[in-house]
Amino acid sequence: MTVQTTSVPSEPSRAETRSLWLCVSVLGLLVLSGLALKLGLRSIDLSHVWSAFTAFDVQSPDQIVIREIRLPRLAASVLAGVSLGMAGALMQGMTRNPLADPGLLGVNAGASLGVVICILVLGVTDPAAFIWIALGGGLVASLLVFLLGGGNQANPARLILAGAAVSALFLALSRSLLLISQQTLDVYRFWVLGGFDGVDFDTIQALLPFFVVGVVIALFAAFALNALMLGEDTARSLGVRVGFAQVLIGLAIVMLCGATVSMAGPIAFVGLIVPHLARRVAGANMWWMLLFSASFGAVLMTAADLLGRLPLFGGNMQAGVMSAMIGGPILIWLVRRYGVTKL
Amino acid sequence: MILRLPYLSFLFSRRAIVAGSALAILLAITLTVSVKLGAFPLSWSQIIATFARRADDVQQMIVLDHRLPRILTAIGAGAAFGLAGAMFQTMLRNPLATPDVIGFSAGASCGALLAMILTGGFILPGALAGGLVTAAAVTALAWHNGLQPYRLILIGIGASLTLSAGADLLMTKIDALTAAEMAKWLIGTLNTRDWSDVRLVWLGLTFLFPLALWLQFPLSRMAMSDDITTGLGLPLSPLRLLVTACAVALVALGVSVAGPLPFVAFVSGPIARRIVRGGSPAMLPAATVGALVTLLADMAARSFPIVQLPAGVCTAMIGAPVLMWLLLVQFRKGTL
Repeated sequence: MTVQTTSVPSEPSRAETRSLWLCVSVLGLLVLSGLALKLGLRSIDLSHVWSAFTAFDVQSPDQIVIREIRLPRLAASVLAGVSLGMAGALMQGMTRNPLADPGLLGVNAGASLGVVICILVLGVTDPAAFIWIALGGGLVASLLVFLLGGGNQANPARLILAGAAVSALFLALSRSLLLISQQTLDVYRFWVLGGFDGVDFDTIQALLPFFVVGVVIALFAAFALNALMLGEDTARSLGVRVGFAQVLIGLAIVMLCGATVSMAGPIAFVGLIVPHLARRVAGANMWWMLLFSASFGAVLMTAADLLGRLPLFGGNMQAGVMSAMIGGPILIWLVRRYGVTKL
Repeated sequence: MILRLPYLSFLFSRRAIVAGSALAILLAITLTVSVKLGAFPLSWSQIIATFARRADDVQQMIVLDHRLPRILTAIGAGAAFGLAGAMFQTMLRNPLATPDVIGFSAGASCGALLAMILTGGFILPGALAGGLVTAAAVTALAWHNGLQPYRLILIGIGASLTLSAGADLLMTKIDALTAAEMAKWLIGTLNTRDWSDVRLVWLGLTFLFPLALWLQFPLSRMAMSDDITTGLGLPLSPLRLLVTACAVALVALGVSVAGPLPFVAFVSGPIARRIVRGGSPAMLPAATVGALVTLLADMAARSFPIVQLPAGVCTAMIGAPVLMWLLLVQFRKGTL
């Protein structure tokens, strides 16, 4: 009996592009991290930045600023970028729709409504307390989307409609609650601005399990998603349990987005733009898609946060707004220059 | 059922006729009820008297100068939004597509805010200019040997996101009181409409509505695939340009009388399709559903106690549950 081996068509150019861009994004992230630690209202010498890690001196205010304020902020923006990028790639891959963003599973809208109700009814004003409420609201909303979307036999078109309907309903509810109570608006306004002001290591530590579990599930699901991109029937005939895979992917998206929303408020843009950028480099393979979405997301988010802190943009521009202002033109330029890569 | 005329023949399904007339009757009933609804109590006989010009001045003014213009504006604007949404969704073959995709709303918000900051007024001209310029720019940027849906969507997303971030940025540059006022306008409201608004929206509709209905024929073919459309002998790119222009004009019309009511354009198409079924794009039902959703939203906004809600808040609260319910029903029946 002879085993027939199929030769994989070699793609030297694609492989080269991938490794090149991987190096570029990792280097870019490193440079940006250095700059993010150095720049700010108080510009700090690179030597101090270095010694804050190697020889921490409690007396030096520069080093305290780096360890207690800038480092958590940097970590938070990298985490948010990675998870939003990955969640966006998963969402667009699963629904095969270029307009799908991770907020479409209702996580952002649910989190916002949770926060609004919490302020209005319970009178909570401390942003630190919002983490678990936002996470809970996001989970409830995405559960509702999944139920409406047809449970584990969801079809992408239905899921999209259900997600859009639930998101719109929840956003309208929170908007009208905000119109009723001016005090709630005053607190909510600052939460929804989001960004990474005042994120500390305690918050990151509390949310880290969600990020880790989300990333692990996403990497597992990537294999099933490769088959799912060919269409559900093809995937089924390739031996993929379609319903199970979709639930798994949904779980990963909810974990990643829920944790990000509770940490940094609703940032929608990154999840929508980054997968389109990543697709240019990664091609159709979902595993590479996730890798590049994660690294590009981290670069974009860190750059946005850094730029937002520069005096040029008022010194305190929210990272979500900045990332849209950078990412939008890049996307238009890419499409104009290189044409479109289909999903 | 087929209706044959000398040069034309129409194919109807019985369900489409029944559903369409049911929607029309529902719209008529809602219209009648909303004339009576309001803070000032009026009986049916008094309302009939006002139409015959036999009531006293106050009642005459309330019904003819306040309620009726508002209702007719709501119906016109809703129909325009519903049509535009259905056209975009059919052309781009994407249930998520709305005129927002092409950047109109984000451009309009930016334009309105810029006009407010630079001149301290002229919100509406600013919004229209912003929206139209953005739509034209996105279409021009996406044009490359014709107009491909995917390209249009991607460039539209880019422009839309950048502009809405720009609007957020501009929003922080104005003082709190103006910001609250602008936020209300940007949600879309039907408060204090008069007959000039009614005239504007219905005059626009008399031109655009027949065009939209005629475009339904090529659109039902364009919904299939590029190859089939070209194979049937239709000029794909000019048609897409025409559809885009018509839909953008409809949205501009709606925005100029009611502000950018969110969600109406998105929700009308899917609801109409689920009610009518069948493969055709269902323009007329989409327009009716849009009008119905807007009118109901305005009624809900008017009858809400304590605060004057803008109608834009209620469109989602009425449209979303209907869409959810339809999705559930279809799921039970296994038709989707």
